[in-house]
Amino acid sequence: MAEPAARQDPESPAPVDEEALVRGARRGDLGAYDELVRRYQERIYATIYHMTSNHEDANDLAQESFIKAFQALKTFKGGSSFYTWLYRIAVNKTINFLKQRKNRTHMSLNDMDFNAEHDPDLVALISDKTPRREAGLTELQEKLNAAMLKLSEPHRLVVVLHDVQGLSHDEIARIMECNIGTVRSRLFYARQQLQGYLSDYLRAS
Amino acid sequence: MNESENDFEPLRRLLAIKRHEIPPLGYFNNFPGQVVARLRAGDTGAPEGITAPSWLLKFFRAFEAKPAYVSSFACSLCLLLLFGIVYAERPDATEKPSLFTAFVAPSAALVDAKSADYASAQTTGLMINTNPVLSLQPVAALFNQQNPLAQVQAMNVNLQSLGN
Repeated sequence: MAEPAARQDPESPAPVDEEALVRGARRGDLGAYDELVRRYQERIYATIYHMTSNHEDANDLAQESFIKAFQALKTFKGGSSFYTWLYRIAVNKTINFLKQRKNRTHMSLNDMDFNAEHDPDLVALISDKTPRREAGLTELQEKLNAAMLKLSEPHRLVVVLHDVQGLSHDEIARIMECNIGTVRSRLFYARQQLQGYLSDYLRAS
Repeated sequence: MNESENDFEPLRRLLAIKRHEIPPLGYFNNFPGQVVARLRAGDTGAPEGITAPSWLLKFFRAFEAKPAYVSSFACSLCLLLLFGIVYAERPDATEKPSLFTAFVAPSAALVDAKSADYASAQTTGLMINTNPVLSLQPVAALFNQQNPLAQVQAMNVNLQSLGN
């Protein structure tokens, strides 16, 4: 059966193509799955990395999430988007990993990209006009990650998905399989906690 | 909600640092290849070298998650072993009828009957043992109990020396 022609919509990045790729991967086409991995690897890796603050763990968990997703493709009913379903697998795997690793946290942080030094918000944070002037970017990064690790996994996840990755409350609710009210309350509580942990770096200039 | 969003604005700007944390250069070029290679190799995504049934995996995972389980499990094993040793060394433990003693009881009764014959033989000075079963009975006597069979064997030796 021939695949329907993919209509290119500038607003949404070829959803039909994704369906075709999922169908191909479900038939065992590793080429199609390779394309799906390329499409979502950065977001999946980033979510896991920000949850674990460890590059090696994020690498392992991201690979295992994609492998698990490929093996579970037959159970994918299409009730949600492939992206949401994949996210759910990665998030569950990460939370299980973090529960096992409890109190054995070891940070292995990635370097900041070149653009960080030119980000106006970050420049303001380390500018000598603010009380945070003594803190370099690397120190801020370490303090921020340490504060994130103090949050419980569900609270950390909401902060990562919303404030770091920019997902909407609705998307987060679908990924976490809870209602939007829960997402909002978790986000509020998590931000309050973080403000307490990072008060030295958040004092009004 | 907007008010609370504004309250957290400095925090959100600080959290923006995390968007600049990126993996080593070229990492995402190799990543799909690694995933596909693992899929081709038949990797299940589970830790390597473990092919135990799922209930056993769950059992071991419970140990990984909670080290307290490991210590309590080890303690209970040690207690069980200790109880076994203490119970085995109790003097009255051997007197209670058990499967082993019930199994050997008939031959023990036979030995008792024979030892009565030996006692009478002591008076006459004549005793001939032609029963091969007796020689197969256990000869060890634990806990300082007198073993009638040992007496029988001793008497046999005496009679043989008398005969010579």
